[in-house]
Amino acid sequence: MIEALAEHAEVVGARSLFSSPTLFDWLEAATPQEFDALAFGVVGMDSAGIVRRYNLAEGRLSGLTPERVIGRHFFTSVAPCTNNFIVAHRFEAENEIDDVIDYVFTFRIAPLKVRLRLLKRPGAQLMYIAVERRG
Amino acid sequence: MTDIQAAPADDISGYESLVEFLYLTPIGLVKFHVDGGIDMANPAAAQLLMPLSPQRELSNIYTVFATIAPNLRSRIAGFRAPVGQICDQLQLAVPGTRRVLTLSINKINQDTLMAVVQDITRVIEQELRIRDDQQRFHAIFDNIRDYAIYTVDLQGRVDEWNRSLHRLGGWRPEDVAGATIDRFFTPSPLGVWPELTVLDRARLRGTTEFDGWCTRRDGTVFWGNTVITALPDPEGKAQGYVLVTRDLTERKHFEDRLVALATTDPLTGAANRRAGESRLDEAFGFWQQQRRPFTVLMIDCDHFKRINDRWGHKAGDAALVALARVCRDSLRPADCLVRWGGEEFLLLLPDTGCDAALPIAERLRVTIAAAEVIAADPTVAITVSIGMADSGSSDRSADDVLRRADQALYSAKDAGRNRVMVQ
Repeated sequence: MIEALAEHAEVVGARSLFSSPTLFDWLEAATPQEFDALAFGVVGMDSAGIVRRYNLAEGRLSGLTPERVIGRHFFTSVAPCTNNFIVAHRFEAENEIDDVIDYVFTFRIAPLKVRLRLLKRPGAQLMYIAVERRG
Repeated sequence: MTDIQAAPADDISGYESLVEFLYLTPIGLVKFHVDGGIDMANPAAAQLLMPLSPQRELSNIYTVFATIAPNLRSRIAGFRAPVGQICDQLQLAVPGTRRVLTLSINKINQDTLMAVVQDITRVIEQELRIRDDQQRFHAIFDNIRDYAIYTVDLQGRVDEWNRSLHRLGGWRPEDVAGATIDRFFTPSPLGVWPELTVLDRARLRGTTEFDGWCTRRDGTVFWGNTVITALPDPEGKAQGYVLVTRDLTERKHFEDRLVALATTDPLTGAANRRAGESRLDEAFGFWQQQRRPFTVLMIDCDHFKRINDRWGHKAGDAALVALARVCRDSLRPADCLVRWGGEEFLLLLPDTGCDAALPIAERLRVTIAAAEVIAADPTVAITVSIGMADSGSSDRSADDVLRRADQALYSAKDAGRNRVMVQ
């Protein structure tokens, strides 16, 4: 555990954290500063899909400020591009998800190849989508 | 991005609003080049198109549409004009799903094209449902056997002929064009069929039902049950009616038989006592309300016990059957013969006072005396004693008339039988 935390301390902002098996724990423990210092985008939603956390990197990618986005339904009112069976339906249908998928976001109305990390744990208050550029 | 950050605060929020507007546009918008390269797409486009691409790619529109519109590239290449519409709401089914997309493509200049993608799955499903419903209705209208189903407007005019009208009543399309529903129903004995009243009732209550005689094209009639249901417009006001008419002739015959069984004396075919009592009450009602007189004849078979004792019950029964037959043969349609009990019959003569009834009673007595009962050997001659009374102004019920007729009957018996006495 101590080792894991030490590793986190090193990799904040580094790309390896995106695929770390402990990303969920890290996000749950992260301070707002650490959250905003991440190099990749992260959206935290409650079980109803309402955006509760939205980091600066995600805001830079989307062109939307966290103030505008927090409190809205992510799949219908923030990122409708994910409102299909590939993303939104999985969060609805599955109890536990830890998966990385290739996707294309349309940040700023231009297609951008991304890798999505979908995270959901039973009992947890938030579920997360992490967004990283690829290709 | 540096440009954006350098812009004044108002512009940043204006830009953000514009981005958000495009994010939330529910129609897929794609800007691409003739080679298929996509350089702009909004989230709705990604939502609709990403599931089409096995590689989860959105870089080339021809790759994305390879499965559902494989000829897109040649279609665009074949469009020579510098600007114009290449396709307009082209419907594309997504294989393996029920989804249907529409694709419209406009050529903006030699190298730039704009595509609009919409998901019309729900619209298509709704259209299919409506078409299914229509086909189902037509199947019902055309193929049901014992029903006619048809719709009429507010005035009762038939909207459209269908096979069920032919099957039930032999009606042809030209018979019902512009006709109202009174064509299908027989005017009731009380007057003209009040068809508009029936429709009004359906409009007020939503639905109404009635039994009555219905007409076929050839003029024959059948007993039918009709249910009328108002068809509401979106505001809930009736805009017409649907009528379902069912042929109940068989059931009517059956019910008539049941009624006959319940009201008839099985031996003689005369009305039974319960049915007779209600006819008497009815006659007394006419007397009270409209001063229409009636006469009651109590007819008793003379020495009936002697016939039974001497020739047996069979002969007794035959005597009663013969007596009833003679009476019935001389009855008028409205007269009612009742087996009142044992060897006693009651004959009700409506709209007849004692003066007119007396010759009838006398003729009856003579005819019965002349008749022979074949059931026994030697044939039995029977006579009857008849006591009669008619409705009087001081009577309070039919029983008062009956009592006087009974007294008259006793007098006839006392006076030596085979005679008519009036009280």
